[in-house]
This record gives sequence, C-alpha cells and structure tokens, in this order.
Amino acid sequence: MQTRTLRAWSWVHKWSSLVSTAFLLMLCLTGLPLVFSHELNEVLLDEPWAPAHADGRRLDLDQVLDVALARHPGDVPAFMSFDEDRPVVNVTSRAPDAPAGQFNFQPIDRTSGDPAPLVAGHPAIEFLLQLHTDMFLGLPGMLFLGAMGLLLVIAVVSGVVLYAPFMRRLPFGTVRTDRAARTRWLDWHNLLGVVTVAWVLVVGVTGVVNTLATPILAVWKDTALADLARAYDSPAPMGERASLDAAVERARAALPGRTLQFVAFPGTDYSTEHHYAVFFHGDTPLTTHLTTPALIDARTGELAAVAPSPWYVKALSLSQPLHFGDYGGLGLKIVWAALDLVTIFVLGSGLYLWLARRRRPA
Amino acid sequence: MSRRDLGPGAIFGAPLALAMLSLIGLVGALLADGAWDWIGAGLLALSLAGAAAARLARRPADHQPRPSSRQ
Repeated sequence: MQTRTLRAWSWVHKWSSLVSTAFLLMLCLTGLPLVFSHELNEVLLDEPWAPAHADGRRLDLDQVLDVALARHPGDVPAFMSFDEDRPVVNVTSRAPDAPAGQFNFQPIDRTSGDPAPLVAGHPAIEFLLQLHTDMFLGLPGMLFLGAMGLLLVIAVVSGVVLYAPFMRRLPFGTVRTDRAARTRWLDWHNLLGVVTVAWVLVVGVTGVVNTLATPILAVWKDTALADLARAYDSPAPMGERASLDAAVERARAALPGRTLQFVAFPGTDYSTEHHYAVFFHGDTPLTTHLTTPALIDARTGELAAVAPSPWYVKALSLSQPLHFGDYGGLGLKIVWAALDLVTIFVLGSGLYLWLARRRRPA
Repeated sequence: MSRRDLGPGAIFGAPLALAMLSLIGLVGALLADGAWDWIGAGLLALSLAGAAAARLARRPADHQPRPSSRQ
C-alpha cells in the first residue's frame, strides 16, 4: 500500500473512531446489562403471583380493554400484547395530548380484570434501554446514534484495511511485550479488533437498522398500507369501533397456525388510522422473529387484508435479535457480553493510542 | 513487498476463518434451536478463544529479537 493511500485510510480510521468513540462506549456500557435484561427483570421484578381464577372463564378482549381504559379515563388504546406463560393481557394506552413516547402500560389478569405484576420493564432497565436507544431525545437521538453506528462500520472497515500493513511482519497473535507500552497496546488493539470484526459489524449494522425503525414503519404505512387507508376520509373514532375480540378471531382465522403476538390499534405506528393490525408470528426459530399482520377494518370488523411484511420490515425484525443477542439462550448471551467487554477494550485502547501519539515528543 | 513480508493469506487467514465461524454461529443460532444455540455460542466464542490460543502460541516468540518492523 502506498504511503498516501495508507495515510488516507489512517485518517478515515482515526476520525471515524474519534467522533464516535464516546457514544459507542456509552452504547457498549448500556448494552452490557441489556443483554441480560430478561434475567435482570426476573430478579428485579420477582413477585409471587397467581391468576385470581386459574380455571375460571376468561374475560374477552373487549372487557379487558374496558377495564384498562376505566383505570386511565380519557386514554386511547395503542397496543395490546399477550403473555405466553400466564393469562395476562398487557394494555398500552396514552392520553391524546401526551408527549410522543409517553404511554401507560397495564398488565391485566384475564381471569378477573385485576392488575397483574410486571414481568418486564423494570424502571432501571427501561432507563438503560432508553439511553441506549435514543438518549431520551426521541427520533433525532435514534438517528444520531444510527450515524454513530455508521461511523463504527467505517472505523471497522478502515481498521481491517490498515491491519494488513501493520501486520505484514507480525504473525497472527503477536503482542510485542518487550516494546514500549504504546506498541503493546497497538498489538492488543489489532489482535482483539480483528477477531471481533464479524460480531462488531453484525451488531453495528443491525444497530443502525434498528435506529431506522420509525422511518421504516412510516414507509411501510405509506406504501404497503396506503391503499387500505384511502377508502376513508377520517380516522375511526373510538365510539364506532367494532368488537376487538371478534377482530382478533377473524385475524386468527385468516392466519391459522400462527401465534398471536400483539394488536396495534388504529392511529399507532404499526397500523393505519382505520384498522386493528393483529400481528402473528411463526413457530420456527427464525419465523418467531418475523411477524405478519392481518388488518381488520375497525369500523366493520371485516378482514381488510393480510399484509405480509416487505423485505425492509423483515430486515428490521431480524435486526432486533441480532443486535441484542437474546435469541440463543444464556450461553450466547454470555459470549455476547464477553464480546461487548472486548469491544470496550478495543475502543478504549484506540483512544489511548491516539492520546499517546499526541503526547509523544516530536 | 520485501521477502520478509507476510502474504495476505498469512495476515488475514486466521482472522477470516474466525470471522466466518462467528457468522455461522450467529446465523445458525438464529435459524435453529436446541443444540444450535450452544453450537452458535461456541462458534462465536471461538473468535476470542482463537485470539487467546494464537497469543499463547506466539508468546515465546514475542520476546525474541527480530528485525525491526515499520512501526
């Protein structure tokens, strides 16, 4: 590689890293506990609970929704999700004038309508998740972190390019322990950086895709769902909506053999202004992460469409497990955490190398 | 390239192999359950184990005098 080319790549590596390092360190530090968020929530929210009438009749979804909204008068429903291992329905609602992202979340015992304890969403974990996702800045924060993720990808690619000239006389695994501290740190930086390239690129790229969730869903609504929304002039008002329970049953009939995951109410990011979007996922390890919505006309309760997700929504869905590493059991999580720690070392050593070079006498 | 310089295969061979194994582990654990969860974690862990093994293998050589490199 010619000196000029080497300098150019070196400049790219230095500045893409320097600009993003503080934010990447924050993401790595907050991401570490988030890898174990399921386990931490279990410990932090551990509370013995049993349904009020384990063998009794269950409330239908309209009754559950009425109970939830009665506890927050004036709220409009946003989402409804379903616990897998207990008869609990989670209702998410929001006040019409609430700031974006501010919701009321209620787990409800489907056998009685009583509140059920939370099993996820401990405030400390939610704080870390919010910091990790958008730094409490909403969409601008998400997009900014996405830009930092892109810089990470550039830093990794330029780092791989620079690896060759730096290692041309050093066999893989060499750390020159008899040299100055900066050389030792450089060798460790190169060794640990190059062996974690694949993982860092996967986590970085999927992180960038995750930051684009809002625009991706907006494109999906404006394209794939646009035809469905054209038939109406105004949003479906609360008082004119068809039975939610019947809507879910119709959706289930349209997508047999799949597992109900959640319902998005009219007016949310995941639906139109006129439909209940009833999302189902598959039962194979891969399709568990891929959802398909059946759209039910919220006024008539009729099936409007089954809308298989386009590729970019599927990419978004798969980016979530591949970013958080929560799809392969505890073993994978432990390796994920170890790689996260190594990445913190690579970031820190890169910063040290830059500082040490600046301090070096001319 | 001087005679002492390593070729691309020697420079990138081991990192590339570890990267491929990592990707197989990442995707394998996503596509299948059960044993593949552990196989995926194991393949991903190989990236760190590979670095540790190479480090141990190079250790005696690290202290031997060698012609100066470009750094």
